[in-house]
Amino acid sequence: MWNKIKTIGGIILISALLLALFIPSSKENNDGKIYIRYWYVTGAKEQIPYHVKKFNEIQNRIVVEPTALPWNEHEKKILTAILSEDPPDVINLVTPVAKWASRMALTPLDELIKKDSFDTSIFFPALWNEMNWQKKIFALPLYSNSYAFFYNKKLFREAGLNPEKPPSTWQEVKDFAKELTGRNSQNRFTQMGFIPQYGNLQTSILMAWQLGADFLLNDKKVDINNPMVIEAVTWEVNYYDDYSLKEVSSFMAGFGYADQHGFISEKVAMMVLDNTFIDQIKLYNPNLDYGVSVIPTFDGYETASSSGSWWAAIPRGSKNIDAAWEFLKFAVQEETQLEESASQQEILFPANQLAANDPSFIKGNEKIKTLVDMMEYAHSPTIVPLVHDIFWREFLSAREKTLHKIQKPEDALKQAEDVIQNQLDQAIEYDTYVRSKMNFGSLSD
Amino acid sequence: MNTFIENKKPKANYGKQTFTGYLFASPWIIGFLIFGLYPIGISFYYSLCQYDVLRIPQFIGLRNYEQLLFSDNYFWLSIWNTLFYTALRVPLCIAGSLLLAVLVNNAVRGVKIFRTIYFIPSIVTGVVLSALWLWILNPQYGLINSSIAYLGVQGPLWLLDPDWSKPSMVLMSLWSIGGGRMLVFLAALQGIPQHLYEVVEMDGGGWWAKFKNVTVPMISPVIFLWTILEVIFSLQVFVEAYVMTKGGPLNSTLFYNLYLYNRAFEDFDMGYASALAWLLLLITLGITALQFRLSKKWVHY
Repeated sequence: MWNKIKTIGGIILISALLLALFIPSSKENNDGKIYIRYWYVTGAKEQIPYHVKKFNEIQNRIVVEPTALPWNEHEKKILTAILSEDPPDVINLVTPVAKWASRMALTPLDELIKKDSFDTSIFFPALWNEMNWQKKIFALPLYSNSYAFFYNKKLFREAGLNPEKPPSTWQEVKDFAKELTGRNSQNRFTQMGFIPQYGNLQTSILMAWQLGADFLLNDKKVDINNPMVIEAVTWEVNYYDDYSLKEVSSFMAGFGYADQHGFISEKVAMMVLDNTFIDQIKLYNPNLDYGVSVIPTFDGYETASSSGSWWAAIPRGSKNIDAAWEFLKFAVQEETQLEESASQQEILFPANQLAANDPSFIKGNEKIKTLVDMMEYAHSPTIVPLVHDIFWREFLSAREKTLHKIQKPEDALKQAEDVIQNQLDQAIEYDTYVRSKMNFGSLSD
Repeated sequence: MNTFIENKKPKANYGKQTFTGYLFASPWIIGFLIFGLYPIGISFYYSLCQYDVLRIPQFIGLRNYEQLLFSDNYFWLSIWNTLFYTALRVPLCIAGSLLLAVLVNNAVRGVKIFRTIYFIPSIVTGVVLSALWLWILNPQYGLINSSIAYLGVQGPLWLLDPDWSKPSMVLMSLWSIGGGRMLVFLAALQGIPQHLYEVVEMDGGGWWAKFKNVTVPMISPVIFLWTILEVIFSLQVFVEAYVMTKGGPLNSTLFYNLYLYNRAFEDFDMGYASALAWLLLLITLGITALQFRLSKKWVHY
């Protein structure tokens, strides 16, 4: 009998101990302060953002507890946190907002903005436009990337081009690129002038924007197979009349990050790059003699650029909305953004345009000035919000097929358009269904 | 003897003992029910829904399956890619491991050192292996292309060429032929009675006759087991494509599981991804059943 009691008692004890492992330890804070959790994405270096440190310093009511999420894992972690109904109070993510807002993962901020008469004109319009979904605001932009045209002055001089006259049209880019391309004795590339598909920003999307393409009509009709996008993609295809795609691919395979980057290692003379490259060049090739200019366009068309922003939002289910809002407002203030930018080794491009245009941010640097000015022409890379990832996958795949001459641009784009449209229709249908069953959208629920 | 008597007596206690037994197994049983059976069941339900995790599921019947089978080009493309990879990889892997096992089964001096040497590469797996091979296969500076460049041969673009990308990945997976599979083959080889080989020798057969008539039939159950396992592993190929190519170039390495991953974790289209997962189960079951049927022709127990 005694043995049996011991056995069963032991099992219960062990089970209880095992179960205890699953119970989250709740930290009791009886000091009257509000503790809010802030999840942000980080790269290799884990450091507490300046806006957190400063916010915790200047006031005593709210304590922000930051947690760094590793890149690539962040979406899944935030997803599960929201599902657990015990999410962090503030999250910091990169474009697109609509991916989360459309799925009711974020708390709308409209009432808070109205209550405080918060001035939203401080943000660059391109960034601010991205923060809304179905006429409601879901996030505040923190930092952005701005793109401009980078060119290597030394290689320009060597090729007999005027280093103070960067190309202003795509035709000039093509002509200059021919002069800037070098081959070795085995006829393999040693340097190239311009590679349309190299870089974060897709040249053909940029061109399509310049030509006036919309991609999405009335929020429900996908329009990729139109003359403007076809012209843009065709430009890229024709670019390879002068170069073998296979050789260029092989040449590009030698590129990597940091000092192996094509532009930084002076193997590609002209590229559309973002502001982080100013720091990267300083770090990995400080002697690089380069210029930054307005992104070229087609003759007679206005230029275009891309934004893409880091934003902060309050996930659905947060229990400290007011405190989280205080913190959000603080993070986007002109002063905070300027100080944060100054505290970093690399340029953090403020989403607050007052901060970005401030002399203490530009520091008389013409290159940074150009990058700030380019924001005026920026378009949002969130092109079909409800099916953002599908749009980009399909578009890139269509372009790849045309470059390899497997399909004509119009056929490949038509196919992509059909797939995206089909997915978008389903997403809209699902959205309508969900909205008829779930009540979400005001702060009260 | 003592235990025998004790075991026979307490029949009345049987139910309680069973209960205690289940109680001991309960951590596993509960874990299986919550983290195994429930997700499997619910994923079938979700496969009949439009569902993005963050919102409620919408029941849409068989539409996901219908779309997959009849209007999704990527589905068929990913099946083709995966089957191509499987068909190329499995025979090479099995043959390679068997060959190595036969080699290190010889009673040569220092054979244990060779076994260790062949085994070592298989310790490196997954993401690290992919990152390493990304450099070995680099067309500009990679180990392979720069070595054959000395012989005057210009190597292919490997992972960047749609025709070479899948074979490149097969080549890469041969890296670990000296791993666990070789050890199991080695153990099986050592279980073959020596007198069978002597019979072949008496009949005047050489090494090939020995290999064909004794070695292979004797270890055929082990080969069969590994063929089944390797087919299942190959159908689930994911990490290589996810790390090295993201499915490119021209979707030539868009494997089934990579497509499933894209749908689930990039698009948050869990309903569709669940349908994909269930179809993969059916495909795997079908291929395995086929193998069992064919095995009657060549496996000797």
